[in-house]
Amino acid sequence: MNPLLAGVMLATIWCAGALVVLYMRTKAFGVRQLHSRPAGDARAGVRYAFTQGMAPQAKESVRMNPLSYLAGMLYHTGIFAGLALLGLKLSGLGTPRVLGIVALLGATGGIALLGKRMFKAHLRGISCPDDFVSNLLATGFAALAGITCFLPSFASLWLIETIALLIYAPLGKIRHCLFFFPTRYHFGAFFGRRGVLPPTA
Amino acid sequence: MSDVDELETRLEALTEADFQRGLEVFRSKLKEAEAAFLNACVHCGLCAESCHYYRMDPVLENIPAAKLETIAAVFKRHFTTMGKVAPGLVGARSMDKDMARAWVDAVFGRCSLCGRCSLNCTVGILLPRLFRAARAALGAMGLTPPDLQATVDTALKHGNNMAITREDWVETVQWIEEELQMETGDPEARLPLDKHGAKILFTVNPREPKFFPLSLQASAKVFWAAKEDWTLTADHGWDLTNYGLFNCKDEEAGLITQNLVDAMARLGCETLVIGECGHGFASARWEGEEWLKQGFPFKVMSILELMDEYLRDGRIKVDPAKHPKKVTLHDPCNLVRHGGICEAQRRVLRASAADFVEMTPNREHNFCCGGGGGQLAMGRYKARRLNSGGMKAQQIRDTAAEVVVTPCHNCVDQLGELNKEYKLKVQIKTVAEIVADALVP
Ligand code: SF4
Ligand code: SF4
Repeated sequence: MNPLLAGVMLATIWCAGALVVLYMRTKAFGVRQLHSRPAGDARAGVRYAFTQGMAPQAKESVRMNPLSYLAGMLYHTGIFAGLALLGLKLSGLGTPRVLGIVALLGATGGIALLGKRMFKAHLRGISCPDDFVSNLLATGFAALAGITCFLPSFASLWLIETIALLIYAPLGKIRHCLFFFPTRYHFGAFFGRRGVLPPTA
Repeated sequence: MSDVDELETRLEALTEADFQRGLEVFRSKLKEAEAAFLNACVHCGLCAESCHYYRMDPVLENIPAAKLETIAAVFKRHFTTMGKVAPGLVGARSMDKDMARAWVDAVFGRCSLCGRCSLNCTVGILLPRLFRAARAALGAMGLTPPDLQATVDTALKHGNNMAITREDWVETVQWIEEELQMETGDPEARLPLDKHGAKILFTVNPREPKFFPLSLQASAKVFWAAKEDWTLTADHGWDLTNYGLFNCKDEEAGLITQNLVDAMARLGCETLVIGECGHGFASARWEGEEWLKQGFPFKVMSILELMDEYLRDGRIKVDPAKHPKKVTLHDPCNLVRHGGICEAQRRVLRASAADFVEMTPNREHNFCCGGGGGQLAMGRYKARRLNSGGMKAQQIRDTAAEVVVTPCHNCVDQLGELNKEYKLKVQIKTVAEIVADALVP
């Protein structure tokens, strides 16, 4: 087996294992027992949190920062395209160029967000080195995934970058790929139970 | 010694044992939800404009994520592997005097626990939950702002947060009863005290007997019109406020809640009705049972829900023509965004006032008036409180309303100050005052 592909496999196992450990450590904090009577439906709140609750009409923050929102959407779509390309590559199914274009567009979103973090003082103020490392790794991954679709000679570099990304993911803020889900769940359950979300008007 | 000096002196005197105690309390307040929140922030900064502090004073320290990061940095350093191994990389910081000072400034000095940032957070982090854990930790280190703590201590000592004596309270109730009898022309109109077996125990904010007796009279008039079977209590349990929600010392909050539970048991009432007060409602309806770690054997509801029911069931009738002035509504965060009482007050106001206009944004998206989170009790942050309230002042101005209605006495106080500060020239009323004036036979 190609040693780089083996490296990707091992890094994937590390990443998944470390994320599971992180999740278990979070679970070890225990569940809050609630005694008050619900006024609404926690499950409806959770459904809302994962659907309309993420849409621009539900969030003033998105409406006030449409370019950041678009860049973020593009970035995440590009990373998912890169992951799809990685899956196809590992399965020996080739790397379709259409996904490569999506990944490259995603990388431009990542670069835009990196630029914003570097040049906007307030964003720099809430950032730590991890934010830059995480962005560079994820943006590099999407960019190289896209480039490899057009220039296959970049495949080795892409796989090395992938190994670095997978090793780093659980160590820094990329761990939000896991914690996004419980956070959104608890957000929805809290407001749903109190009858605040889904909104009545 | 002033409050500011007292807190500074305390900060300077902190020892390693204090930090450890604070960290233990902080850790004890975290459950899996909070632990997930502390791992979830992506530092996107999109929450900035959701906060009224930042809107009115756009400095880094007012960004919700910056406040959160102050807390998360300490969490990472003390409770995560990466924070111990590579603190510089992940922005982890040890709890020390500087961080304790930063925590005080962030969670007491720049946050009204309004939760507007939660709705606008990219991920959905419930930031106030973490800020409350931090306030609890600071409390364990002796760093609760003294005037906020004094409000809680007064409630614990006197059974109400304004140290009103039983004698003064009873006299005020009797005096309001006479006023009500004159107003209604009904010598049988009552403000019952300690009526055993009454269906409803009604609780009020001590500001009502002390400063706003007309507000209590208005509620009583609505009960009178609805022929409600209700009572007040002469002893502990008439004050609905609970500043334990703000100093975040759950044991103290629980003791204050117990006054309500005991009054309900003493009088054998079915339903505890919370007068117009945001944090009082959230405390009794949502947090009280958690503080006491057991469910109440009675129902808790807001007077807004009750008035809404009266109108729906035809128990009271109102004529909106009695309120021709343009009226707008301020949504108290603890009643609406954190309390789930959103539409009842709107239905009531639409029925009782001819020209009701919404603020923008409203309901769960409404801006805090700036007086929440115990800010009204923390004199050292008064300038920030009034400045952050500029967002609310602008919202009010944009409606061109002459009357601002709010179902919360803390908000009434803050809006009153904003009225002067921003020269709004509005009248500020509670919902019951509007309804009482609009009642028709
Ligand atoms: S809870 Fe309210 S005051 Fe506190 S940071 Fe969030 S938006 Fe600002
Ligand atoms: S919006 Fe949420 S995730 Fe983004 S910086 Fe603010 S708190 Fe963090």
